[in-house]
Amino acid sequence: MTLTNTGPDTHEVRPPGAIASVVDLKVHFQSKRGVVHAVDGVSFDILDGETLGLVGETGCGKSVTARSFLRLVPMPPGIAVGGAIHFRRRRPCQHCGGDGCELCDGLGRLPEECSQCGGPGCEHCDGSGIDNVDLLSISESLMNEIRGDRIAMIFQDPGKALNPGLTIREQIAEVLYEHRSEEIMERAGFDPEASNVTGTLVRRRATQRDRRPERILMSVPPFRSRRARLTRATDEMVAEALTETQIANPLKVMRRHPHELSGGMKQRVMIAQALACNPDLLIADEPTTALDVTVQARILELVKSLQERHQAAVLYISHDLSVVSQVSDRVAVMYAGRIAEVGTREQIFSEPLHPYTQGLLAAIPSGSHERGRLTAIEGTVPELIDPPPSCRFVGRCPYEAEQCRSADPILASFEPGHQVACFIHSPEPDSSLDQPSFARKTK
Amino acid sequence: MVDTAAPRAADSDPAPDSAWRVRSRRVWELTTSLFSNPTTIAGLVIVVLMIAMAVFAPLLTDANMPDPYQMPRDWETPRAPPGTPGHPLGTTNNGGDVLYGIIWGARTSLRLSLIVVSLTVVIGVTVGSIAGYRGGKVDEFLMRIVDVFLSIPELIFALAIAAVLGPSFRNIILSLAVVFWVKYARIMRAQVIHVKQNEYVDAARAIGDSKLRIYFKDVLPNSITPIVVQATLDMGNIVLIGATLAFIGLSEAGIAEWGVLVSEGQAGISSGRWWASTFPGLMVFLWALAFNLLGDGFRDVLDPRTETTR
Repeated sequence: MTLTNTGPDTHEVRPPGAIASVVDLKVHFQSKRGVVHAVDGVSFDILDGETLGLVGETGCGKSVTARSFLRLVPMPPGIAVGGAIHFRRRRPCQHCGGDGCELCDGLGRLPEECSQCGGPGCEHCDGSGIDNVDLLSISESLMNEIRGDRIAMIFQDPGKALNPGLTIREQIAEVLYEHRSEEIMERAGFDPEASNVTGTLVRRRATQRDRRPERILMSVPPFRSRRARLTRATDEMVAEALTETQIANPLKVMRRHPHELSGGMKQRVMIAQALACNPDLLIADEPTTALDVTVQARILELVKSLQERHQAAVLYISHDLSVVSQVSDRVAVMYAGRIAEVGTREQIFSEPLHPYTQGLLAAIPSGSHERGRLTAIEGTVPELIDPPPSCRFVGRCPYEAEQCRSADPILASFEPGHQVACFIHSPEPDSSLDQPSFARKTK
Repeated sequence: MVDTAAPRAADSDPAPDSAWRVRSRRVWELTTSLFSNPTTIAGLVIVVLMIAMAVFAPLLTDANMPDPYQMPRDWETPRAPPGTPGHPLGTTNNGGDVLYGIIWGARTSLRLSLIVVSLTVVIGVTVGSIAGYRGGKVDEFLMRIVDVFLSIPELIFALAIAAVLGPSFRNIILSLAVVFWVKYARIMRAQVIHVKQNEYVDAARAIGDSKLRIYFKDVLPNSITPIVVQATLDMGNIVLIGATLAFIGLSEAGIAEWGVLVSEGQAGISSGRWWASTFPGLMVFLWALAFNLLGDGFRDVLDPRTETTR
């Protein structure tokens, strides 16, 4: 069951530098007590090469937003996904082959041309001539091409995100088999296009599509050496991916099972897996929450340095403002399934506009506080089951007015690059625009 | 599996670790913990002896040609007590050699349990996996079928099917297969539903693996251990129920099968000829006991939920 896009903002012109644009995303869950509006009309852009921090407290819909990028929201109990996530696919720059040159601004990647107009610009690509796909509506096979290759994800708990029964090598090799089989074959000295028997066998082996009889055939002498070459090539690539993450002794770690590694090492393995294919967008879903603070700092540095090297955009999700202030270029603050405020890091941390953001920042303990006293935002997060058409922050907001209880503020521009959803800053909600999304949806 | 997070990464093993070494080390660890339990060793010893007896049956006795599974009949010396020359464990009312019946009966039992267990595991794992992995209506449909099978007691159900099909050894195999697969389907479904919620399944989807590949790579290997335990236990249970069916007379008369032997000897028990029933009965008991001990041992080692007292 998919919502139709009725909001006018679905076709809003997206900034040309955005690698991904989330437009009016809605994810609802069916529960016994009603429909939970976990994500309810979220819109933001991720610009090329930037780190966007997505902050919010537990249960505000951060992770669901992140998982929507890869369509990993389980579909029961999830019942409705509305809106769109536009993603601009890239391909390796043919001029420099991925090393970075003038043609591609050192990114090593060029945008794909629009599939409709092939470059000059049309309605499909908002005149930019750059191809974009809606991650929520493309076919499963195209989605699988993008997953792990163009968009990769780092999970919250590395201890749970690795298969306990496979070695580290096997788990990282899996991404390579899926998306980089041609590179494996080239490295091993085979022609990926070869159509003879050996070529077919090698190709099927490199993509792990081989069946039992082929495996037996590959283990007897004339083919055995070829299989060994493929294995060596894969080993090399896995070792390189692991080396990037500065893990100690990658050749040894490769042969280990996850339970033999520490939490920090496991997270490095996850990062190696995510970056093995050099993705355009890396989604980091609280990657340091399960780690202790010293390891956390090292992992943050690692993510940052790798991002600079690979020029990937990062969507960094966290409930920890201090972490977000360290890693992000821009910050989006989420509250109860909505974006409350978006801006650059400086804008959010030095002049927060939304009362919720202000409350969050005030709640960070600092040395100047009196001992034993902590500031907190009064009240509790509202239930997201069939929410009323009012501002989500009603009941906790110190500036609450009559208007806040009867209408829902929309995200409006306050200054360039700084948007906020609050009546204090945009007193007149434009009623012609996409107004309370739940009024439209709830059946 | 339980994540023990042992800081073993730091150990200094100078030899380069190959995948094969890692795997053999794991097998070695499992084997040593399996054999730290004396009852498991006892079970294993009996199982090995039984299987050896079954495998080497043609060497231990002169096979009764043309069909060695038929009991040889020595009409000269019926009802001979144990110790009679040529018949160390005596003979039955019809002159069947009890020792021959026991040795070739082990072969029959091994054949019965292996065929039934492999059939039921394949069917059960397939049905359970589809139900658990697909979920929704498919799951609902398959599990209602399973419920129907489970609502009838095992023995009665197998007895009814075997009776309808007619008395023969093949029909006993068939009827047991029909009855026993549901258990595996249930276990497998529960396991798959549990395993597919793991984050590594999501992580595998996030790197672009297809659903079928995720099933074979992540779900199946991580959900199969309870099936192994159940299969080991059933190796014993199936012989027990198979012998029961044969005792009632649902097997061909006169074949070397422990249940058939017990039933052949029962008429003589009241007249003091205890041997023809006792020895094969003891074999059924030992067989079931041994596989149960072994299965419990497997469960202690493989199932993280049972705390091992090592």
